[in-house]
Amino acid sequence: MERHHPVSKTKTLLIAPVVFLSVFFVVPVGNTFLRYLRISELGTVLSNQSLRGVAWFSLWEAIVSTIATLVIALPVTWALSRFTFRGSRIARGVLTAPFVLPAVVVAAGVLAISDTRGVAPIIWAHVVFNTSVVIRIVGPRWTMVNHRLEHAAATLGARPSHTFIRVVWPQISEAVISAATLVFVYCFTSFGVIAILGGVSRRTLETEIFTQAVRLGNTSTATALAVLQAIIIGAVFYLTRRSTRSPSTSLHVSSPQPLHTKPHHRATPLVFTAITTVIVASPLLATVYRSLVVNSQFSFTAWRTIFSGSLPALSVSPQSVITTSLAFSIVAACFCVPLALLATTASAPRALFSLPLIISAATLGIGLIITFNTSPFAWRSERWFIPVIHAVIALPLVIRALEPAARAIPDSLRNASASLGASPFTTWLRVEMPLLKPALLRATGLSVAVSLGEFGATSFLSRSGSTTLPIAIAQLLGRPGAATQQAGFALAALMVLVTIGVMSRA
Amino acid sequence: MKYSRALVASILLVIASACSSSSSTTPSDSTTARNDATPTEITLLAYDAFTPRDGIFDAFTAATGATVKVVTGGDSGVLISKAILTAGTPEGDVLWGLDNTLLSRAQKADVLTSYEPVDYGDICVNYDKQWFVSHKIAPPTSLEDLILPAYKGLLVTQDPVASSPGLGFLLGTIAHFGTDDWQDYWTSLKTNGVHVSPDWTTAYTIDFSGSSGKGKYPLVVSYGSSPPAEVLYAEKPIDTPPTAVVESTCFRQTEYVGALRGTRNPNLAAQLISYLLDVPFQESMPLSLFVFPVNKKAMLPELFTKFAVAPTTPLTVDPADIEMNRDTWLNTWRDIIL
Repeated sequence: MERHHPVSKTKTLLIAPVVFLSVFFVVPVGNTFLRYLRISELGTVLSNQSLRGVAWFSLWEAIVSTIATLVIALPVTWALSRFTFRGSRIARGVLTAPFVLPAVVVAAGVLAISDTRGVAPIIWAHVVFNTSVVIRIVGPRWTMVNHRLEHAAATLGARPSHTFIRVVWPQISEAVISAATLVFVYCFTSFGVIAILGGVSRRTLETEIFTQAVRLGNTSTATALAVLQAIIIGAVFYLTRRSTRSPSTSLHVSSPQPLHTKPHHRATPLVFTAITTVIVASPLLATVYRSLVVNSQFSFTAWRTIFSGSLPALSVSPQSVITTSLAFSIVAACFCVPLALLATTASAPRALFSLPLIISAATLGIGLIITFNTSPFAWRSERWFIPVIHAVIALPLVIRALEPAARAIPDSLRNASASLGASPFTTWLRVEMPLLKPALLRATGLSVAVSLGEFGATSFLSRSGSTTLPIAIAQLLGRPGAATQQAGFALAALMVLVTIGVMSRA
Repeated sequence: MKYSRALVASILLVIASACSSSSSTTPSDSTTARNDATPTEITLLAYDAFTPRDGIFDAFTAATGATVKVVTGGDSGVLISKAILTAGTPEGDVLWGLDNTLLSRAQKADVLTSYEPVDYGDICVNYDKQWFVSHKIAPPTSLEDLILPAYKGLLVTQDPVASSPGLGFLLGTIAHFGTDDWQDYWTSLKTNGVHVSPDWTTAYTIDFSGSSGKGKYPLVVSYGSSPPAEVLYAEKPIDTPPTAVVESTCFRQTEYVGALRGTRNPNLAAQLISYLLDVPFQESMPLSLFVFPVNKKAMLPELFTKFAVAPTTPLTVDPADIEMNRDTWLNTWRDIIL
């Protein structure tokens, strides 16, 4: 099939995203490497027995976590992307909420229920965090698989498993692999979950990079580890890459069907959704529980405190914390989603826009403070700088959320529109945008979620009067006194509720 | 086609920039005046937990005409790492909160032009009073007690690599048992079931039984000022804290304030440092930052005199020794515990 956008015509669209990524990511990270990377240090790191152990643990816990996440998240993705039913929106919101939460909140929830530390709770927490990634990356593509093909296969006598393998899987595999890669990367670079649920003996490359750079002051060792980490993640991206295939004409735009129109197997989607929701929501409920129960007694004190407009021990009000977080996430989305749309429309080289995923947060954080330090680029303490960096970090994820849907729009539609006299802009606005709308909404949701929960690279940046939710929660939980801690959990619970509200619409 | 796509691109960018400008005009976005002849703003760089009393800098502004912009970013470890990475082009003028375990790093990297102690406190084992009453066991009174069978599996501490109270507790054991014998003590602690959490928050709010988390461990490494905080921030008003301190385990932590090399306002920085050491600010610290004032003229609030602990002869280690041996001690500790 011939593709009708020659490179030259779409290249101009790439300018903005490429410049953005270069200025706010490539330059600072390059600066860190130039200044601190010693080639000899790489050898030292590789020959260190204990660091090799750290790399090995990072690798296998990430693989196991990814498999567990897929097993738990794919059935519910199917249920939510193919059907609508009472509660499906709420379920979507609940399943996405953990993505924005600070690790300490989810880990506290997991710990409250499992009461043990080790690999199993780590994997559970990773499933809780990453189920939303699968739903948001695979969901839009799955929605577009033509129902009629499945019906046809069924009519022709194919068993459901057969229909899935032969008809559905080829059309969603790319999105599934894309999501699996992302989940792997998030688990591989997991920080807070590992630290809290693993105890001190379980270390990942990401925690070790932070320890070496910040705690021990060995920036060279840290950058060498960051290179090692980038090589491993880069290799995973290389292995899971898919050459851009011509879009399947069998994909079409469709919405989820109301479940009540399906007389057969009505229970299956509900069961899948219920099981996953329990797995994901129970740690969140533990958060709500801890905000309401103190010293085995039920109490609304923390919630009253929050709604009365003050936070114990902190000099900021809950309103300002929430406003700051929302403003940051909206600004970040304003940058991220249009840039991602441009990159997707121009079929941007995926490797380039995967860079923010393969570089450790500490490396970027260090790069930002040593790069943007002199006028006229003394931006490191500017207020707008934080959401811009959020946008950089969210970019790979948002592009992945848009890509499958954008690629599924058949060229024949564009051609038809053009031959009916529509200008390319009209075609884009009237044909492509409506088709991309569900994916755009989900992508925006992802961008907002990344921004609300970001606690990595931007925690290196200094802030003045711009306390965000994760920072306020960490501060409240980081002090003695039942009232401060309860308020911390109440704020976390509020964040859960707000996110559920936002995500069940996006 | 090319041009219309470019048009779309520019429209999107306009939207993006409109979004950004709407937020960057928020009122608190004051412009810095660091290049002006008469600086009107001075930046105090501090750790995230720096929460001074509201309006405490008004008197400074009234006296000097300069406002104090408090900029926070990370804990004290992150703060010193950033100060070293940005030596010469600092993120602020005055740095608050390096302690005696980190000070030598700052000295070695030459990031401060001057520094002075500004507050102190102690890192001590805290216990859950109710737990020891209901289990009819006497609370421990010394580091030695912690390795007795009676206290098996009761203590939670923090990773000294990542956590400053964790490091303080390790240094306290080194001060008490000496550089040759502390390893044996930790081997015994491990045999006696010490639990190591990654940070203070996890240890105190999740693992410790005496605070809100109702965890499994009635002994936790925390601060000598944690009991008054339990009273001040109790869920319902209480007269006495639910926790208490094992005094003989206390390791002294002194925090410093210093002028950052590269500040454009050395005079104003010096004025701010004097202000931070003066009585009004020093008296505000106990109940806002939960530390003791270094200024002898500053009066302590009743909550502190009643419940906070600061022994007259705490455990200490010379900062130069800490700097010289920190990595070795941490690696040895890791070998014992991991």
